[in-house]
Amino acid sequence: MTEHRDVDTRRATDAYVSAEIHRLLAEDPEVAEQGITVVRRELGLVLHGEVESAQRRDEILRRVAEHFPELAVTSDIGVVRAQPPTEIEQLP
Amino acid sequence: MVIRIAAVGDVHLDEDVVGRFRPALEELPNHADVLLLAGDLTRHGTEAEARCVAREFGGLGVPVVTVLGNHDYQCDEVPQVVEVLEEAGITVLEGNGTVLDCSGSRLGIAGVKGFGGGFAGRCAADFGEPEMKAFVGASTESADALKAALHSLDCDLLVALTHYSPVPDTLAGEPPEIYAFLGCYQLGQAIDSAPTTLALHGHAHHGTERGTTPGGVRVRNVAHPVIKQAYSVFHLGEHLEPGEVSRMGSLGTRPAWS
Repeated sequence: MTEHRDVDTRRATDAYVSAEIHRLLAEDPEVAEQGITVVRRELGLVLHGEVESAQRRDEILRRVAEHFPELAVTSDIGVVRAQPPTEIEQLP
Repeated sequence: MVIRIAAVGDVHLDEDVVGRFRPALEELPNHADVLLLAGDLTRHGTEAEARCVAREFGGLGVPVVTVLGNHDYQCDEVPQVVEVLEEAGITVLEGNGTVLDCSGSRLGIAGVKGFGGGFAGRCAADFGEPEMKAFVGASTESADALKAALHSLDCDLLVALTHYSPVPDTLAGEPPEIYAFLGCYQLGQAIDSAPTTLALHGHAHHGTERGTTPGGVRVRNVAHPVIKQAYSVFHLGEHLEPGEVSRMGSLGTRPAWS
């Protein structure tokens, strides 16, 4: 697994972790999501975005936890609603 | 003359979500004359996923016209994907167009996937390494194809359908650093070169719905995570008040002028 500290005296390199998570989520065939953002909060990393099913949402968190077991990661990913529209937009 | 257009993009279908859109789609013929899909129909662009798209969006009772998105290219099965979609009656555009008869009016739709490259002042240039030239070449080629398609159609109302964005306006909400991967100004330039009424695109999941090209053409980002509903409906007609929004009743659309 990749070492996420440049040297012992430096803090964990969040930028590299964030980049690796982005690539993991896009390139992992079981996920293939490009619309997930990673935000650093006090309690750890939070994943944001919207996906098409609850299974996909759960799989994202599972994959990230599997690849980065040392990180505290929580998910705030939602499932996009698919109800019919209630309004139309009129354009000239 | 009013033409009713339903549109959505980035539905990313696979077996796990087949059927999610169908209840809303069953109502669609009450609300729209045509459904336009703005690419990223699948997760990985496999033939099997295309069959999911065919099941979900085929046989709706209104014409369905689509472009492909970057996800639909992932597994290098584009010919198979296109074949499956067309077998289901879905028209796939890539650098060409189609004209549909909608209640006696001719709706022209020109479509292309498009590509990245960036926008004025922050765009890639055809200079340097071959990889960069290839990148910019793909943007330019795509925009040229859209321009030719837009100019080839004889119709009453002209709509441009892309996956990548033609303007930065509808990317607001995305990190500015990735705008160059979400669209390019050349698509907007192509749209502005023709008497285009509306431009629809997807791709930018964190973007916003509304924008305009520098030439004043209205642009709408219909990516599913942006519109947060099964599809959006637009009424196009020269006698309508701009920007007017009306409610949609359970028995169909209730126009603002009724």
